[in-house]
Amino acid sequence: MTRSRLLGLVLATALALTGCGATSGGSDSGKSEITVAGTYPIQNLDPASPAGGGNTGTNLVAQEIFSRLVRPKQDGSVEGDLATDWKSNSTATEWTFNLRSGTKFSHGSALTANDVAASFKRLLDLQSTNAKNFSGYTMTAPSDTQVVLKAPKPDASIPHKLVIFYVVPAKVTGEDPDFFKSPVGSGPFKLQKFDPSGTVDLVPNPNYYGGAPKLDKVTFKTMPELAARMTALRTGEADLIWGIPDDQLPQLQSESNLSVETVQSTAVFTMWFNSGEPALRDAKVRRALWQAVDFPTIIKQLYPQTGTLADSPISPVTLGYVKQEPVKYDPAAAKAALTAAGFDFSKKLRLQFANAEFRPFNQAVVSDLQKIGVQVDPLEKEQAVFTKDLLAMNWDVNFQQLSNPTYDAANTLGRLYTCEAKRNGYCNPSLDKLLAAAVATPDEAERTRLYGEAGKIIWDDAVGMFPMAVKYAYAFNKRLTGFTPDPNGLPDFAKVQVSGS
Amino acid sequence: MTRVVVKRLLVGVLVMWGAASLIFVIVRAAPGDPATLLLGPDAAPDQIRELTAKLGLDRPLPVQYVSYLGDVVRLRFGDSYLFNRPAMAEVFERMPATAELMLASTAIAVIAGLTLGLIAGGRPGKVVDRVVSAGTIALQSFPTFWSGIMLILIFALALRLLPSAGSGTPAHLVLPAITLALPFTATVARLTRTSVAETMREQYINTARSKGLTERQVLLGHALRNSLIPVVTIIGLHMGGLMGGAVVVENVFAWPGVGTLVVDAVANRDYTVVQAATFLVAGIVMIFNLAADLVYSQLDPRIRLESAA
Repeated sequence: MTRSRLLGLVLATALALTGCGATSGGSDSGKSEITVAGTYPIQNLDPASPAGGGNTGTNLVAQEIFSRLVRPKQDGSVEGDLATDWKSNSTATEWTFNLRSGTKFSHGSALTANDVAASFKRLLDLQSTNAKNFSGYTMTAPSDTQVVLKAPKPDASIPHKLVIFYVVPAKVTGEDPDFFKSPVGSGPFKLQKFDPSGTVDLVPNPNYYGGAPKLDKVTFKTMPELAARMTALRTGEADLIWGIPDDQLPQLQSESNLSVETVQSTAVFTMWFNSGEPALRDAKVRRALWQAVDFPTIIKQLYPQTGTLADSPISPVTLGYVKQEPVKYDPAAAKAALTAAGFDFSKKLRLQFANAEFRPFNQAVVSDLQKIGVQVDPLEKEQAVFTKDLLAMNWDVNFQQLSNPTYDAANTLGRLYTCEAKRNGYCNPSLDKLLAAAVATPDEAERTRLYGEAGKIIWDDAVGMFPMAVKYAYAFNKRLTGFTPDPNGLPDFAKVQVSGS
Repeated sequence: MTRVVVKRLLVGVLVMWGAASLIFVIVRAAPGDPATLLLGPDAAPDQIRELTAKLGLDRPLPVQYVSYLGDVVRLRFGDSYLFNRPAMAEVFERMPATAELMLASTAIAVIAGLTLGLIAGGRPGKVVDRVVSAGTIALQSFPTFWSGIMLILIFALALRLLPSAGSGTPAHLVLPAITLALPFTATVARLTRTSVAETMREQYINTARSKGLTERQVLLGHALRNSLIPVVTIIGLHMGGLMGGAVVVENVFAWPGVGTLVVDAVANRDYTVVQAATFLVAGIVMIFNLAADLVYSQLDPRIRLESAA
């Protein structure tokens, strides 16, 4: 074989290999099909199982396959999904949900209240992380179109809590891996293919009560690497990505075929102080430390598009949000306050966090504290080690991006700041009373007022530093219409269309 | 030969027992426990206790170990905590993708490495030798994740020739296979270059030249075969390294193989999957090493397997 023929053969092989693959999927397919490239692995489709319950990837797909009694709106309020309306008794211990009639599962059989009640029982039986929200609760189905949820104590947060409860056919009991290989639900889509190694294909559910979605297919692909995800979006292999760092956004914003939108998320950067540690027991010390960090500048430098200075321990899209008085950066006053409080400047504080993404932010905090003589050791830990140390209180300052899947302060303030929670060494009986009163009050305005008072105590006592309210950035192909960015990183595709198809 | 192979396989059983035992200890020595990770930090202690018992992790370690060894003998590793299905089935499902990636990258590395090594070794000290030597050092120095991202940016984004990530078509295999092959190519090239350069100084090469054979005929017909011996050895030994590289490459390119599975399993303390995957990979590496020894003896009859054994 001559050299030129050999070269020709190599080129022909290369073209054959590349010809169909470079732009497969995504925007060039010409059909009403879209590809979504996410970071989360989707290993399990059972949102009630211990493995799937707290898994974002599972919930991302589950909300498309299964219906819920209620679902969240972008502003943090809830709207009916299977439920048309709901009300509680005066003590918020009994909630009645009326269901829309004529709802069907994707395989055609009717969905009744019995399916809802059985799914709730299954959720409790499987004891996933979501089940803990409903310890001691019971659900009954007095008729085919009504369910009643009884709580052991007043709970006005029930509608919000139920946004993570999905309905499956009543015959599914216990862990049923076979069912979840090809699950049947009543959501807008049904499963076409599930490959736990990284691909899920969904097609419209013709029996969806809201009418079948206009998209022919939605493919979810797991792409952990940011460069691959961004390249896939720019080449048209993917139509939507999110979880994009600020420094990469201008690049995508410069692309004429892409839209970039940010949305206020439920997440807040939260830096708890371990109030159980002698050095951090005094609220004046904690507040002085907060005052010593120039958060406005750090946020401006690191998160110009996705960060805003937080003004509450919870996000503005959470029920119970009330704006608090900002803590002003004043290193001189901070040092004076620490000295007056007898703070031991020779003690090295341990600041733990779990993700390399947050390293620059935490390093900037350490740097500012060092300027007033406070020594901090930044400890970046693997998630498993971080969680173990978090629960063991093996830290002085703990950084987390705390989000709230229920959009209700009961899930953050009410869960994490009580004496019983033992999550940050802080215990204040007055705060406990306020939080108990807030969760028992059915009136939303009154609940918000009570959570505002609770938030003020947490804020003023500097249980932690609450530096930043987080926005999520979504980048998508302009051929997508009807797409709404989701505050919890769980976008819905029921109303998305592809222009021109 | 048969006696030697059987002997090697018996030693292999011991190696596999060692690998299985080591990974059993390592995953349990790592801080953090599966139940807390699965249920999250808000789980009640009784929930964590119940799940720990359900996973069989509340039993004393020696009891767990004996039960685990019994399962290993039957190639049962229990159900994955994350996937809720048999761990070995999950690993087997991902293995073809990893095997495809490793075979493709090995083929690329061997072909490219041998070619470069022959070119450089055939002309020691010349410009081409220096260029190849410098190039292979550079290839070995690049971190795999960096090479992968660079290839994505060049071939997927700038040239739009290949897909950036994922799987499903032969085109999807090209970039991950090249990325994984790069450091191995350098190893093969450097080894071949040294071996060829040495062989070219042998008397029988001078004899071949004196018979009037062209330099290409000498190189391909006489030097190549003897130069292959160390290369074959390194291919066998390099399988473990390739597997390690595959973990990185699969994550960069979202390649659905054992590498991504193991990364997720380790992060989530999915003991059963880590144990199953490690056991299988150890077995594969062992088989490749044995195969390399067998090929080695075929390439050079002077080498007797008995002595190697």
